[in-house]
Amino acid sequence: MIEINNLSFNYGRLKVFDGFNLQIPKGQVCLITGINGVGKSTLLRLVARVLNPLSGEIRFPQITSPDPRSKIGFISDTLSLYQNLKVSQAIDFHKSVYKIQKFDDSLISHTKIKKNQRIKELSNGQKTIFHLSLILSAQPDIFLIDEVIHSIDAYLRKVFLEKLIDLLTEKKLTVIMVNLNFYDIENMIDRVILLKDGKTAVDEKIDDLKTKVKKITSSTQPKNIPILTEIHYSDHADYYVYPYETNDNDDMEGEIIDLDLTEIITAFIGGEYA
Amino acid sequence: MNPLPNIIINPKSAVPVYEQIKSSIRFAILSGKLKKDDKLMSLRDLSLKLKINPNTTLKVYYQLEVEGYVYSRPGSGYYVKTSSKGILNKRQIAIEKLTEDYLSKAVQLGNSLDDIIKVIKQTHEEKFKLKGGE
Repeated sequence: MIEINNLSFNYGRLKVFDGFNLQIPKGQVCLITGINGVGKSTLLRLVARVLNPLSGEIRFPQITSPDPRSKIGFISDTLSLYQNLKVSQAIDFHKSVYKIQKFDDSLISHTKIKKNQRIKELSNGQKTIFHLSLILSAQPDIFLIDEVIHSIDAYLRKVFLEKLIDLLTEKKLTVIMVNLNFYDIENMIDRVILLKDGKTAVDEKIDDLKTKVKKITSSTQPKNIPILTEIHYSDHADYYVYPYETNDNDDMEGEIIDLDLTEIITAFIGGEYA
Repeated sequence: MNPLPNIIINPKSAVPVYEQIKSSIRFAILSGKLKKDDKLMSLRDLSLKLKINPNTTLKVYYQLEVEGYVYSRPGSGYYVKTSSKGILNKRQIAIEKLTEDYLSKAVQLGNSLDDIIKVIKQTHEEKFKLKGGE
């Protein structure tokens, strides 16, 4: 479980969070989204304790270890690996720092990474996979994923996803991910949080979100439903609406169309929630 | 290895993923593809196969248990519960639900009940009877 209470954080004069609150129960997989610069990565860094809040607190009630960082796995696109070390040296280093019993090589066994290679000789995707292996070897309770999975190829994404499913089955890992490419992880997500102006603008369970966001194709603008964004064609328009209620159906003109998660997020960040 | 229903998840559907999977498994039980005391795939295996969150799989199995389709043996897994008698009852409910969906669409298209019955008989004649059905 992650409890964020009254969190404030600035970059100099730029206010990012001012009294921000969020609770994520143990075992939940949470997607944080929002436009670039809204503070998604900053939030992950604060949770990972790479950054310190100006005020407020971030608590992990279930982690008893004196240093919670050892139970938080954080992978970001600005990787903190030591370029000149060999793979085997980096493994030994992490083993001693994080008191890792055994290095989990189930991910890198699918790659051409060799233990005597230097880290700087690895491709971006290989570095990401190697970093993931180090993190998962420490058996974190909380796993924070900043948009890194883009750099690994389709096959390794599948391997990674299978590893994640294993971890979620075996131990109730709590996961926060930021803006991953949605298509292959859509069915992993329990909850979607959209940030706007340092606040939670949307916070929905995935099943509720899919019921509440619709595309209405019509020649007249739907009444009494907030419109997120609209696309106009010569004789009709697509209106993306939220929150849609099933009984809105009665006097609606036009066709009501279900959306997948990518379309939903695009409608949010392309429109009123930008 | 027990037969796995062909489960297809439609990402565009507003029907929640767990509902989509549940109805596939229910259908497999009602149609006899999964039989009494057949073991369902483990939580891990079904999650891996469908690439879904194990929380979702757990919800599916839990609800199927509440609805009386499966039972759980602690530490072992989930098994098909429904006896042939129970199936008859549930099959009746399932066909009523299917008919309701179908009828509401057919009526919306402006068909009379007589028209609809005629088409059902005709379709059955053409598509099913020749394949050795009843």
